[in-house]
Amino acid sequence: MLGLIGRRLAAAAVAAFLSALAVFLLMRAVPGDIVGQMLGQSGNDRTAEAALRTFFGLDRPLYLQFGDWLWRTLQGDLGASWYQGKRVTAMIGEAFGVTLQLALMTLLVSTLVGVPLGMLAGIRAGSKLDAAIQAFAMLGLSAPVFWTGLMLLVGAVAAFGWSPPFAWMGPTEDLADNLSILLLPVISLGLLQAAAYAQFVRGLMVAELQRDHIRTAIAKGLPPATVYGVHALRNVLIPLTTFVGLILVQILGGVVVIESLFSLPGLGRLILSALQGRDYPVVQGALLFVVLIAITVNLVIDLLYGLFDPRVRGG
Amino acid sequence: MSFPLFRRITPGLAFGLALIAAFAVMVAVPGLIAHQSPIAIEPSRALQPPSSAHWFGTDDVGRDVFSRVIFGARVTLGLVAGSLLIAALLGGGLGLAAGYAGGITDLAAGRLADMVLTFPPVIAGVVITGVLGPGAANLVLALSVVYLPTFFRIARSGAIAEAARPYVEAARASGSTEFAILRRHIFPNVLPLVVLQYVILFPLALQIEAALGFLGLGVAPPTPDWGAILEQGKNFILVAWWLSLWPGLFLLASAVAVGILGRALQSGPGGM
Repeated sequence: MLGLIGRRLAAAAVAAFLSALAVFLLMRAVPGDIVGQMLGQSGNDRTAEAALRTFFGLDRPLYLQFGDWLWRTLQGDLGASWYQGKRVTAMIGEAFGVTLQLALMTLLVSTLVGVPLGMLAGIRAGSKLDAAIQAFAMLGLSAPVFWTGLMLLVGAVAAFGWSPPFAWMGPTEDLADNLSILLLPVISLGLLQAAAYAQFVRGLMVAELQRDHIRTAIAKGLPPATVYGVHALRNVLIPLTTFVGLILVQILGGVVVIESLFSLPGLGRLILSALQGRDYPVVQGALLFVVLIAITVNLVIDLLYGLFDPRVRGG
Repeated sequence: MSFPLFRRITPGLAFGLALIAAFAVMVAVPGLIAHQSPIAIEPSRALQPPSSAHWFGTDDVGRDVFSRVIFGARVTLGLVAGSLLIAALLGGGLGLAAGYAGGITDLAAGRLADMVLTFPPVIAGVVITGVLGPGAANLVLALSVVYLPTFFRIARSGAIAEAARPYVEAARASGSTEFAILRRHIFPNVLPLVVLQYVILFPLALQIEAALGFLGLGVAPPTPDWGAILEQGKNFILVAWWLSLWPGLFLLASAVAVGILGRALQSGPGGM
């Protein structure tokens, strides 16, 4: 087990380092940086340009810029935003609070909706109910999340004359406002993930119900609730735990668009606006953070697999 | 790839194939379906709701939304299909070579693929188009880069599995060159995996293409692209819902159509 953890950690560190390097190089490989944006159209002032480049350290060799950033990052210092002067770690912290709340609520809703639907479809495989649930899954997986969000907004206004408040409210400031702001984003993201769950769990359930121990359980007259809810569910839970990780990473990607649509001050919006402003420290810091989350989630999945299934540990 | 591709044509599959045929017509000859210009501006008829003259209504500068959506099929579906093709050719080719050759090439390519895969796909797309700027070329680049590693992995694992088969050993013993083995034995067995992956990834890539268009990172206006029309419609969502409803429905329908095809291929009898 320790060997597995060590190998996975090493691979994760290499992936994180390479992705940080890629982001760093990509941003500097294309023309246009913060200096160009600050000077705008009157960008003929060579002295000002040179002075600003020196100020931001953009005139230094690339390997020094990257080495410096990496060294500080390893010490937990991501620098400060070039526009706002705020610490990048503080900005990420604030934004991640919003994204995390959105992601966890989406995870909760989609699990509560998707898993039972998938089990039901699997148990009643081949029935009309199964066909309906599969159709729902297909639609949910195919609808663009932001479009679902737009349509929900139109529907809410048309049917109830209700639209969410515009300004963001944290859950500790005003819980009612906070929840009504998050209602539509959570439904639009949750629908997609519930569909993914339903499809995945149905497949697991169908395979599980064909196994001998289930036939034995039914043959010896156990009530259906015990057969499905205990015997089948127990084996479905293992792959399902790992699927939760996959869903979380997907939600992390989905929030970028949904945050932009509903004006939520989360990580996605932070990355988008920093990219537009060429705010290098913020882009690098926030992307590294996202990559580290994705890597951590995948690492936990791998380790859980090793924990559940000893055969994986040696490989 | 062996035939028949499908175990049987269910009503669902027939529906999916019919949808694909309809979209193919839209992509090939949009002018046959929509007779008005998708880009002609006419401010006097801005934001009109759907009518017999404009089935899907008009947008904020008076363009016919029906025409924009129909002509948008070629842009949106074409960009996704082309990007995935590039990813499949490059990623599949590299994977084939890396899996068969092994060694340091395999290791280096594998690390690069891991690196791209650490980013959630939407975020990778946003970063690439956000840095390089909007435009069709950058969009294609972003989508290809995002999906290249997936094709690489599929082709690589397929090549490794095939290379270990006894018949490859037999071919080598009977004097076949490595290139001949790769071309005659490995490639035909890996191709179906790559084709299936293409179909499976299509709806996902479509979502990302639309999302990037929606964020203003896709093709430049006034080119009709479904994601871009949605981006434009977002600002008028409460006064002109028709601007957003239709392009989204077409995105949904095309993703469903390819999704049905993908599912049928996965459960097909030909080992696909």
